[in-house]
Formats: sequence, C-alpha cells, structure tokens
Amino acid sequence: MHNPEVVRPITIQVSAIGGEGGGVLSSWIVNAAKNAGLPVQSTSIPGVAQRTGATIYYIEIYPVSIGSLGNKRPVMALYPGVGDIDIMVASEIIEAGRAISNGFVTPDRTHLIASTHRVYAIGERSDMGDGRYDLKRLNDVAASRAKKTYFGDLREVARQNGVSLNAVLFGVLAGIGHLPMKLQDFRGAIEVSGIAVESNLKGFDIGYDFNFIEDRKALVHRVIEEEDRQNSQVAFGTRIREDFPKICHEILTEGVRRLINYQGHAYVEVYLDRLSSIIKKERKVGGDGKVTAETGRQLALRMTYEDVIRVAQLKTMPGRLERIRREVKAGESEPIIVVDYLKPGIEELCSILPATFGGYLANWAERRVWAKRSNFGIRLKSTTILGYLLLRALAGLRRWRCGTYRYLEEQKLIVNWLKDVDTALSMSGEVAIEVVECASLIKGYGDTYQRGLENYNSIREKIIMPLLSGRLPAENGGDAIANARAAALGDSEGTRLDLVLQEISNLVAHSPSE
Amino acid sequence: MERSFKKEVETLRIGEGDKFHGEGILAVTKALLQSGVSYVGGYQGAPISHLMDVLSDAEPLLEELGVHFEVCANEASAAAMLAASVNYPIRGAVTWKSVVGTNVAADGLSNLASAGVKGGALIVVGEDYGEGSSIIQERTHAYAMKSSMCLLDPRPDLPTITRLVEEGFKLSEASNMPSILELRIRACHVYGYFDAKDNVQPIYSGKNKISEAEFDFSRVCLPPATYSQEKHKIEHRIPEAIRYISENNLNERLDGEVTKIGIIVQGGIYNTLLRALRQHGLADSFGSSQISILVLNVTYPLVSDEISEFCVGKDAVLVVEEGQPDFLEQAINAILRKQDLNTEIVGKEVFPMAGEYTSEVMLRGVHGFLKEYSPPELDVVEALNEIDRLFAERDEARDNIGDNLPSRTPSFCTGCPERPIFSALKIMEKELGSAHISADIGCHTFAALPPFNVGNTVMGYGLGLASSAGLNPNFHKRVISIMGDGGFWHNGMSSGVAAAQANGNDGVLLVIKNGYTSATGWQLLPSSLRDRHGNKREMSIEKVLKSFGISWLKTVRSYSIARMVKALRKAMTTPEGGLKVIIADGECQLARQRRVRTQVAERIAQGRRDIRTRFGVDEDLCTGDHSCIRLSGCPSLTIKPSSDPLRTDPVAHVDNDCVGCGTCGEVSHAAVLCPSFFEARIIRNANIFDRLLWKIRRKVIAFLAPGSAMADS
Repeated sequence: MHNPEVVRPITIQVSAIGGEGGGVLSSWIVNAAKNAGLPVQSTSIPGVAQRTGATIYYIEIYPVSIGSLGNKRPVMALYPGVGDIDIMVASEIIEAGRAISNGFVTPDRTHLIASTHRVYAIGERSDMGDGRYDLKRLNDVAASRAKKTYFGDLREVARQNGVSLNAVLFGVLAGIGHLPMKLQDFRGAIEVSGIAVESNLKGFDIGYDFNFIEDRKALVHRVIEEEDRQNSQVAFGTRIREDFPKICHEILTEGVRRLINYQGHAYVEVYLDRLSSIIKKERKVGGDGKVTAETGRQLALRMTYEDVIRVAQLKTMPGRLERIRREVKAGESEPIIVVDYLKPGIEELCSILPATFGGYLANWAERRVWAKRSNFGIRLKSTTILGYLLLRALAGLRRWRCGTYRYLEEQKLIVNWLKDVDTALSMSGEVAIEVVECASLIKGYGDTYQRGLENYNSIREKIIMPLLSGRLPAENGGDAIANARAAALGDSEGTRLDLVLQEISNLVAHSPSE
Repeated sequence: MERSFKKEVETLRIGEGDKFHGEGILAVTKALLQSGVSYVGGYQGAPISHLMDVLSDAEPLLEELGVHFEVCANEASAAAMLAASVNYPIRGAVTWKSVVGTNVAADGLSNLASAGVKGGALIVVGEDYGEGSSIIQERTHAYAMKSSMCLLDPRPDLPTITRLVEEGFKLSEASNMPSILELRIRACHVYGYFDAKDNVQPIYSGKNKISEAEFDFSRVCLPPATYSQEKHKIEHRIPEAIRYISENNLNERLDGEVTKIGIIVQGGIYNTLLRALRQHGLADSFGSSQISILVLNVTYPLVSDEISEFCVGKDAVLVVEEGQPDFLEQAINAILRKQDLNTEIVGKEVFPMAGEYTSEVMLRGVHGFLKEYSPPELDVVEALNEIDRLFAERDEARDNIGDNLPSRTPSFCTGCPERPIFSALKIMEKELGSAHISADIGCHTFAALPPFNVGNTVMGYGLGLASSAGLNPNFHKRVISIMGDGGFWHNGMSSGVAAAQANGNDGVLLVIKNGYTSATGWQLLPSSLRDRHGNKREMSIEKVLKSFGISWLKTVRSYSIARMVKALRKAMTTPEGGLKVIIADGECQLARQRRVRTQVAERIAQGRRDIRTRFGVDEDLCTGDHSCIRLSGCPSLTIKPSSDPLRTDPVAHVDNDCVGCGTCGEVSHAAVLCPSFFEARIIRNANIFDRLLWKIRRKVIAFLAPGSAMADS
C-alpha cells in the first residue's frame, strides 16, 4: 500500500466462531499491549453472532508507548481494512478463507495464523449425503495470498494437552514475533485475568514454542492413528486376488470383513459370486474394474442392511463399552450407565418375522395408518445384565435372518439393482457407475429409509429403465441419473427431485426412439 | 446477565488524574456519573445492554451518590421516565437499542420533546445498524428531526464520546431539547482510554429530594399549550441549540493544506474515513489530513454558518453520511443554495445509498471522489492505481476460493431449551401439514434459519400474537403465534393476549419461557425466579393468563418433545374456541450452565456423588443421512468423517460440548429416526454400591459378549 508513514498502527484481526473464546483472546492481546504501555484499541461484533455465528474482533496497537507520545493520540480504526491487516488469526480454517475473500489477507504484509481443523457449518452438517466444503482450493489460495502462513491443527494440539484453543493461539501470536510486546507482557495478560491461569499459561507456552514445520508433521502422524484392525487376517484373500483386479482388492477385503461379521461365510460366497458376474461383464466391455469396485462397496453396505438383529449386534459388540467410555471421557473409577434410545414398530417386527407372516403383517399394516405409525419407545439400559441379555438374544436371531421377510425383500431389490448395473455396463462405464451410486439413496431407518427407497424407485422407473431400454437417449443418461440423485439428496421434501424427474419424462416423451 | 461487571465497576470510582481503561459503553456510564446525573433507566438490547448491566452491578456506588437506577418495562416507559426533567432541574439519562427501541419509545419521546426539558435529558441509543444486525435498517436521525431533539454522533474514541455525554446534558439544558447520543455497535464495544474526572453528586437526588411540586400548564401537552410548544421549538429551542453547538465547538474543523476540496463527515465514522485517507497517502496516524475535514459530532440541528464557511471557496465537498434518506446531504445542499454558494456536494454518487460504511465501502467512496475531484496539486494517481490493484487481486483470490464458503448463521446454543420446541413443531407439521407461524423477536427468531426454517412473519418485539389477528380468521387452520417471556412482559400480554381474548381469537399461542431476556444477555424479567437482589418473585405468566380468562392453558417442559407434539396437536385440533396457550418452560441453558457448573464443581470437590449426562452416536449404526441434524441443529451434534472405509458420507457425531439436554435422543424417539443415539450417565465420586454393581456388570457383560468364553453362535 502506498503509505509514506514508517510507523503506523499494527492491525490484528481475530476471526472466531461463537463460543470459542475469541473475546477472551482479544482481551488478552489488549492487556498485553496495555502491559507494554502501548496505545491499543479493540472492538468486536458479538451481538447475535455470538450464538454459533462467525465472530470478529479487531485490534490496533500503536508501537510507541503512550508515555513517549506526550499529548499526541493515534486515531485508530474500528473496522479491519482491505489490504490493511498485519496479523490475521483464524480459529478455524474456513474463517481464514472468509478473511481472504474479504481482502483482509494480502501478500505484502499479512501473517496468517490458522487452525486447520473444521467446525462444520449447518449447511454442511444437514446435507443428506456429504456436504462438506472441499478445502483444496482454499489451501492453494491461502499460500499465495499471505506473506506467511502458520497452519496447523491447533485444536488437536490443545486437546492433546488439555488446554483451550484460544490460549494456544495467543501463544502462537506471541511466538511468531511480530508484535512489539515482550514475553512477560503476554503472560501477564493471562495472569491478570485471574481465570484458569495455570492451564492458559500452559496453552500459551505450547503455542509460543510451536514449530509449524516439525510439530505439524509429528501431529499429523499422531492424528492418523489407524483404527485397530486385529482381525486383519483376511478370509477369502486368495479368491479376491485371483478373481478381481487390484483396484478392487481393498474394498472387497473390507466388504468381506463386514459380511462375515454380519452373517457368516456362506453370505460372503453370495457376495463374491454376485461381484464375479459383474467383473466378468465389465472385463468383457473393456473396463478396468472401477465399476466392480464401486459395486463391491455399495453391495457390501446393501447386504448388511440395518435390521433389528444388526442393531442389537452392534450395540453388544465387544469393545463398544470401552469406546463409549473413551468418547464421553469417563474417568478410570467412574462407572457409566448407557441408555439406548430404541423405538421399534411394525416395520421392525416384520423384519424379523418369517417371510409369510411378515408379508401378511406388512400388508395389513400398509392399509392402517395407525398401525404403520405405532411404535414402542424403549430406553434400554444396555449396561444392565438384563438389558444386555435382551440385546444379545435379539442379535442371536441372525441364524434365522435368511428366512425373514425383510431379508427376502432386500435380496429382491439387490438382484434387480445388479441386473440394472449389468445392463448398464453394456451401454457405458459412466452410466453403470451412476446406476451403482443410486444405491446410496437407500439408507437409514424408518421414514428415512422409506423415503430413500421411494426416491430410488422413482429414479429407477423414470430414468434408469427408460435409459436401459433405449427410450431415453444414451448421451443424456449418466448426467440425468446424477442430477436426479443430487436432487434427491438436495432436499428432504422431495420437491427438487420431482422437478428433475418431470423434465426427464418430457425428454422421454419427445424422444424419437419412442 | 451476560457478564459480571463487578471488577469494572470499581473503575467507575476513579477520579481526576487517573486514566480510565475500558469499553465504550462503560466509559459512557462513567461520564454519566461525572455529569451529575440523578436517575438512569432503560431497556436492554444490544449493543447497550452492558450499560444496564454495569449500573446494576454498581448499586453501592449509585447509592453513595444518590443516583436512582431503574430497569424499565420497555422503551416507552424509559422515555416516559425522562418526564422528571420536564419540571425540575435534574439530569436524567435513559438507554435502549435503536432504531427498534426508539420506535417503541416514540410516543413518550414526542410528548417529552414537545413539553421541553428544564433539566438535562440524555437518551443513549445503541445504533445496531449494518453487519450482523438483526433489526430493521432505519435511521434514528428521522426521530431527532421530527421531534426536534439534538442528535450527537461523536467521533468513536473515548475522550470524544465522554466529552459529548457531558456536553449533551448542557446542550439539553441550554436548548430545553432532549439530546440523543447515538453510538454505533463498534463504538459501544470499543476498548480504549481517557482521562477521568471526579464523579459529581447531583444537586437533587435520593439524598437531597425536591421539596416543591411545579405546575406549569405550558409544559402540558394539551391545546393551546401544544401549539405554543411547537412554536417555542422553532423560535427558541433550535436557535439556542445552534448557538450552544457553535460557541462550544462541538463540531470539529480540521484544516489541511488542500483548499479546493473538503470532506464533511458524521463523527461516528470519522475514524474509518481517516483510515481511507491514510491508505491514499493523504493523512497520518494522528489525524493530520491534507484535505480539510468538518467533523459533525452533532448531526442535528446543523449549524448553517459552519457548513457554509467550510464550503466557501471549495470546488467540491464530499459528504460522508451513512444510511438513507440522505438527510445531511439534502440539508447541506439546501444551506448552500440559500447562501448562493456553488460548491458541488458529492455524497451518494460515490457512496452506496443504503448500508453500513465499512472500511471497504469507505475506501471505494473516497477513491471515487478523489478520482473525479482531486485537484492537480494533489498527487494521488499512484495511490489510486494501487488501490485498484488491491481490489483486483482481492477479487481474483475470492474467485479462486469460490463463493461456496459455508456460511455461519446464528443458531440456538448447545442444549438450548428453544430447539426442542421447534423440533416438536416440525414433527407436528409432518403430521398435520404446514402451519402459519407468526414469529416474534428473541433467540427464537433464529428458528427461521436453517435447519428449522420456521416462522413466516416477524412484526416486532412481543407482537407475535398481535400479528396473527388479521390472518387467523382468514386461514384454513389455526395460526400459531410465538412469544418469548421477554416479549410477553414488554407488551405482548396487552397487545397480544388481552387483545386476542377481547376479540375472540381462536389461535394458538406458544409462550417460550426461559426466565431471562436472553438474546440481550440474560437480564432478569418480572417472571424470573429471583430479582437482582436474590429475592423470590411472585409475578407469573400463568397467573396473568388465568386472570385474563384463558381456559385452555398447558405448561410443558420444553425438552419433552413427545409431550409438546401432543399438546400442539391438541391445541390445533380441539373444538374448543378461544385462545389456546402452551407455555414451553425451560431455563436458558447458558444461564443454567453458568450456575450449575460451579455447583457441580463444588459437589465434586467435596467428594459428593454426581451424575454427568452426555449423549453419543454409535458410529457404525449411523448411515449418514443426517435427519437428526435437520431436526435439531444443535452445535454439538455435528459430523465427522466415517472411519468405515465402505462409507464415504460423514456420520453424525456428538462432540464434547454436549450438556446432556437429551434433545437429540428425544428427537430420534419422537420422529422415529434411528437407533444410533445413546445416553451415557457417568457417575462421579461413585459410592461403594455403584462401583460394586459396575464391577459385576462389566464382568458379566464381558462374559456374555460375542467372542468370549460363552462364544458366538
């Protein structure tokens, strides 16, 4: 920036998320400057933003002490200026992106400190599939926009050390050495606040000494602690290696592991047989196995649909209790009681009844809204012996699973879906992948499952079938399916999907091959 | 209260020779005491809530000085409180959030301003305009003009702000007009320093009471006095105000070397202007500018002579005025026209008509002005090019990042008792079809944002029920009105409930009772359990409603979603006529946590048994559909990457901020979502019985578990 002045206020912006302690961090910075006898001004926009919104704190420090300025008083701004920020502190990586977008990070002067963890926004969290923001673009831009970046998962650092993130950030800010205050000015700011002084000083020291190159590597290493996989002795390894290309091995191995746990070895044979016919077809049309790999992933999930038996099985898995204890941070000497929120209804009952009874009951309930809506809310204490035994008994029903109503219904759906995949493969790999992906619509429980299934069925009926039978031009095929799927996942009310399907059926009607 | 100011209150005692360090609004409080104020009142609202909180914490000091502090029922009562200064020479100050609070106060203000004041009357308004504001974007300026009140808009540094507080009282006394001190949100929260003075004991106060009642008909708003009051404004008050402003240099003229152009700016945005000039290389960090600036610390009434003297001889003058209509620009043009001066006034041509003047808006505006009007002797070409380059590079970076950065809308806090109410509403709507919801002002207005998207109209604080009056008889099903307990006491019980009862409204009212005016920072209400001295209170919403003759009245714990759904269903479908009221009862979780946390810490320290509750999701049962999030939106109910290599969608996850309110479990139960949720009760300081039972259970469960000695089937 064109500026004849040599000495000017040092400008700092802190971008945080409501409830993260951005206000405390900003008051520490102010007090550190005050301790050093420097003119300092800060301001903030809390208001409603403090309730989970983005919060912004802006601080200016004039690097000459009040004493030596005499009667002169710097005029300090209340707004961060475009191209006028020396240090930007983002407590979360998206907030760094927002600051760049606003022009508060510029290559000529801005030191950008950011914790790289994610706090997902409501739009990302409530997406029906995966609505997470892709960080790649942001990372590229950040590197080129800042004078220097200081990126690290500082929240993880804070967690591992049992301190709060804002203390670590304060330490980092002091540690990068671009503020005109001394170490004891910073530490004194924490001391004078009188709240959690010891832990905040510890956090400060960790941040102060944080080495952004070395410590970050070590950290990444620690974070990516792979789940313990003691059962990594892979069954069916030989068959997977011999029958399938390399691209499928990893996924199929996982699929096999899941199916063994779900139903046993015989069920795995069914799984691999089904995939064998897909790979044969894919090879015939010159594919490299990509479609088979994705089918393998989806098929494993579909074949391990979540019925009451599965729920009971997973709720009684060895290790679950210890996992929960770790997750809720129960101390060594602290007993816990786990209450499971279950609400079985007719549907769940049908799913474990033998096919004929189940079918009859399902039909009967279909015509009676009250019956369909009947559920029994149970809060089951699964840490009591009786509660656990009940769940184990339910899980034990799995030996009869293959005769249940739900099992037969699911297999019918799976077989039809695989047939579609097979037909689609003769058209093109792209269309086949799209057909495979449609399986991801069917997930969840109760209403969610029903809605997913309905969406799947309408996409199948209105796009996939016309496409496979040649009534819909093939060149539109893959895109049409993908659009419909995105629409189905885009809103839970189903209005977007209806619109897309309407458009497609117009196409079908006007198609010359009709 | 949002914050305790016990520590800061001590700084209110400092005197001559000391430096005051603190927030803007705290500095205003100090300035009030330095001005010898006798009484202070107001109604909370961002960004002036802290003024009320500070005074509430400063009770011992106020007692020493004999200053009365009142938490008013609403802004209208606060405005009416200034009546004390009509007949008697005592100074009073009231405060509220503008513009909405000023709207509520308008009736009182008109009468006050018409009667005129003897003692200084100061209204401190927190102008919540622009970024992050949740209110209507209108200007307080219009009120000052229509009611003839002085409007102070000081430069946002503490010495100027505090000086203008004292001058505001004097100006009010000199002109008999009430003064409004307008502080923008960033100025309220600005941390800075100023040289303190001693507090002043008011002449009349609780310590030295007024002994004679004054009757003066000319101060009563009845004809013919009303007409003569209006005349008095024109002939006496406004000229007196102008004389005082001018004689005491309340506006500041900062002359620079450049003679051909100048800038007139509202005081409140002077600092932003100066930064923009510095970025153009035209000013230094101490306020010395090459272009002359006239800073209007008083924006109404304008001093015509100051304006014309500043403009004379200049080719062009930039008027930097935030908001619309452009009252100042119009007035300045009129002044110059009358004096036959041909200086060109540039304002909204280079600035946006509406919206806040952020640093970017200011930089672009000044840039636009200089590009066109900069005289040849001023070398700004290089600076202008550099700023163009700056914006071009910024825009490029913005394009590269993309416009899909996830936005963070405000939402209910973790464990908020209002969330389950809206979950219940959504579940009810699934059953009975969508309803029309008349929303109200409060934290509950956030229900209109994702994930709930509930609330069709918002008409003002406490007006949820009143705003259904026209639609309810014309809508195919009962309209549901929302009202918080804050809105209820502010005006809703009369404007809403009493009116609905009297007119035979057949709708449904949902009163959200959390015990505080929480959106403004947990100030107490008449129905709060205890007053600020800790004494029990007897005022209850239920009793009021019963006394109004409401017969269909249910109180439901807000976390009991199933029961709330049932109550809503009944209210919507019962054949019974008249207003049906459901009180959703649940204390603000932030306030509760703040209280409970210390209590629990004490219990734990004493070694006493305590159960901590937390919720969780079984990751392997979660299929990644996120219905639970769409029906709750709790910040601690988030997502994480699935550790299952076969699942690509992220799974639901409860993080460690969970306070165990149970809403997620209740939602998954009431909406029949999925069996993934569990509640974990952690027993701390477990007794011997707990530990024994735990030992046995753990052993037996390990024995029964698949893969153990009992073996899998």
